[in-house]
Amino acid sequence: MALVAVIDKEFRMFFRYPLRVVSSLIVGLVFLLQFVYFGQAVLGGRYSALLQSSTGVGDYPTYALIGYVLWWVSVSPMEASVWGVRRELQRGTLESNVVSPMGLVEMVVALSLSWMLMDSVIMAVVFVMGAVIFEIPLSGAVVVKSLPVIGLSFLAFLGFALVFAGLVMVLKNIGPFAQIFEFLILFLSGAFFPLSTLPGWVANLSKAFPLTHAASAVRKVFVGMPYSAIEGEIAWLLLLLPLYWAVSYLSFRWAEKTARMIGYGGY
Amino acid sequence: MKAVEVVNLKKSYPKKIPLPFRRVEWVEAVKGITFSVRKGELFGLLGPNGAGKTTTIKILTTLLEPSGGEAKVLGYDVVKEAREVRRRINLVAEGERTLYWRLSAYENLRYFASIYHVPKRDAERRINELLKMVGLWERRNDLVMGFSRGMKQRLAIAKALINDPEVLFLDEPTLGLDVQSTIFVRDFVKSLVKEEGKTVLLTTHYMVEAEKLCDRIAIIDHGKIIAMDTPQNLKKLVRDEEAVEIRVKDFSPEKVKEVDERLVVVEKEPEKGTLVLRGSIDEEDLPKVVERLIRAGAKILSVEKKEPTLEDVFIKLTGRALRD
Ligand SMILES: Nc1ncnc2c1ncn2[C@@H]1O[C@H](COP(=O)(O)OP(=O)(O)OP(=O)(O)O)[C@@H](O)[C@H]1O
Ligand SMILES: [Mg+2]
Repeated sequence: MALVAVIDKEFRMFFRYPLRVVSSLIVGLVFLLQFVYFGQAVLGGRYSALLQSSTGVGDYPTYALIGYVLWWVSVSPMEASVWGVRRELQRGTLESNVVSPMGLVEMVVALSLSWMLMDSVIMAVVFVMGAVIFEIPLSGAVVVKSLPVIGLSFLAFLGFALVFAGLVMVLKNIGPFAQIFEFLILFLSGAFFPLSTLPGWVANLSKAFPLTHAASAVRKVFVGMPYSAIEGEIAWLLLLLPLYWAVSYLSFRWAEKTARMIGYGGY
Repeated sequence: MKAVEVVNLKKSYPKKIPLPFRRVEWVEAVKGITFSVRKGELFGLLGPNGAGKTTTIKILTTLLEPSGGEAKVLGYDVVKEAREVRRRINLVAEGERTLYWRLSAYENLRYFASIYHVPKRDAERRINELLKMVGLWERRNDLVMGFSRGMKQRLAIAKALINDPEVLFLDEPTLGLDVQSTIFVRDFVKSLVKEEGKTVLLTTHYMVEAEKLCDRIAIIDHGKIIAMDTPQNLKKLVRDEEAVEIRVKDFSPEKVKEVDERLVVVEKEPEKGTLVLRGSIDEEDLPKVVERLIRAGAKILSVEKKEPTLEDVFIKLTGRALRD
C-alpha cells in the first residue's frame, strides 16, 4: 500500500541518522524544562489554584507537559509540508511521485502522518522523561483511556497538512510564515497557562484551534476525570475536524491545479 | 491506436503566480506542435536549450497542463484521464535528483513499486531483475548518495521500468554522463524497444544520440517542430556535397553572419584562437565564401567536406548551431 510505503520511507530516512533523532529529543526536552521550571519559579511551587479552578488540572508540570507534547505533535503536519514536501519539491523527487498513480493527496497525507508518528515517538520519550523528572504519576489505565482522545486530536491536526502543502507547492518558501503560525498556536492554545487569563476575545479565538480542545481533554482524562467531563471538547473537535479537512482539501486542489500550470519545480 | 498523439499542443507559463485578481504575463514555451508516436517506436525530440522539450514531456506525463491543444497517451487524455495514463507510463526525468539519495538502491525501487501498486509478489522478482539488468545488483544495499552520476541514472532507468510501462519517457537520458554510462544507456534503451517492444519518447540535444538511436525525430526549436522524419530522410534535406567545415584563425565569431548567413560557429578553441565554422554551401559558392572570409580578415586553416549530419540539417533550417 502506497500509504505504508511513504511512512516506511520517511521512517528509514529519519531514523537512519541517530544524531537527528538525538538532537530532536534534546531540543524537545530543553524547551520543556525551561517552561516548566519558569512556571514553577513564578508559582513558587507546582500547585496552582488558578489552574485548578479554571481548567480542572492544578498540578503545573502535568498541565504544561501535556499541552506542550500535544503542541509539538500538532504542528508536525505543518512541518512535514513546509520542510518535507518542500525538500521533495526542490530536489525533484516530488515529480517522481506525482507521475505515479498514487494520488498527491495520499502522498501528502502519508508524509504528514509519518512526521506526526516520528514526532510522537520523540514526544513519547520526552513525555516519559518529563514525567520522571517532575515526578508525575503515570498509570497504564490513564494512558489507555487518553489514547482515543489523542487519536481524534491527531486526525484534527492532520487537517493542517494539505493547506500548507498546497501553499508550499505554489509559494515555495513559506517556512517563516509557518513558524509564526506554529508559535501562535502554542500561545493561543494555552499550553503553558490557562486561557482564562487572556482577554475574552483572544480566548474565543483560541477555540478555533483543535489543539486547545485536545490539550484540555487529554489533561482532564489524565487526572482521572471520566469521558463525560470532556464532552464539550470532543464536540469541538468533531466540529473542527471536518471543517479543517474540507478547507484543507479544497485549497490543496486549487494549489495542485496551479502547480500543474506553473510547474512543480518552478524555482 | 497510437502510443502518443499530440495535436496543436500549446503551453504558456505565467511569469507570476496567477491569482484570480492578478494580471500576469505569459511566456510561450510550446507554440502548437503536432506529432504522433507509433507503438514500438523510438521517437526523439531534438532541440537546443529552451526549445520546449522538457515542457512537452511534462505535459505528456501529466506533470503540466497544456494551455491549448490535445495530448493523448495510449488513447487516454493526459488531462482528463491522467490516472489511466500514469498507470501505463513512466518517466526518467531530467537531472539526477529524481530518486531518494538517503535510501538504498533497493529501497528506492521498493518504494516506487509500492506507489505504482505493483503487487508484492511481482515486485520482489521485478526489483531483483531490474537491479541485475542495470548492473547495480552488487550495490543494491548502498545509499544512492554514494553513487556516481552514471549509477544514479541506471537506477533512475530501473525505477522507470518498475511498473512495466507501455510507454517510457526519457528527458535527456545521457546528459552529464561519462562515455561508458552513455553507451550503456543508449544500448539499453535501444534493446527496450527492439527486444521488449516498448515505446520510447526521448528528448536530447545530442544529434548523434538522436541519429543513432531514434526511428524518427522531430526537431524542435523555440516551441515549434521545424522538421520531422527518419534520421535518413532528415539528412536528405542537406545534399551530400553540401556540408562544409571551415577552420579559421584570428576571426571574431560576431562577424561570421556578416560574411555568410549560412555559416555558424560550431566550435571555439580560444587558446588556439581558432573557430570551426559549418554550413551547407555548394561547390559553386564555396570559393566565394572563402574569399569573403579572407577579405574579412580570417586566416583559413582548412576547408573540408563532411558527411551531412543532423547538425547540418538544424543549421540549414534555423541558421544557428544546435548547441548555441
Ligand atoms: N516552470 C517554468 N516557469 C516559467 N518558464 C519556464 C518554466 N519551465 C520552462 N520555462 C521556459 O519555457 C521554455 C522551454 O523550456 P524547456 O525546459 O521546455 O526547454 P528544453 O527544451 O527542455 O531545454 P533544455 O535543453 O535546457 O532542457 C524556456 O524558455 C524556459 O525558460
Ligand atoms: Mg529540458
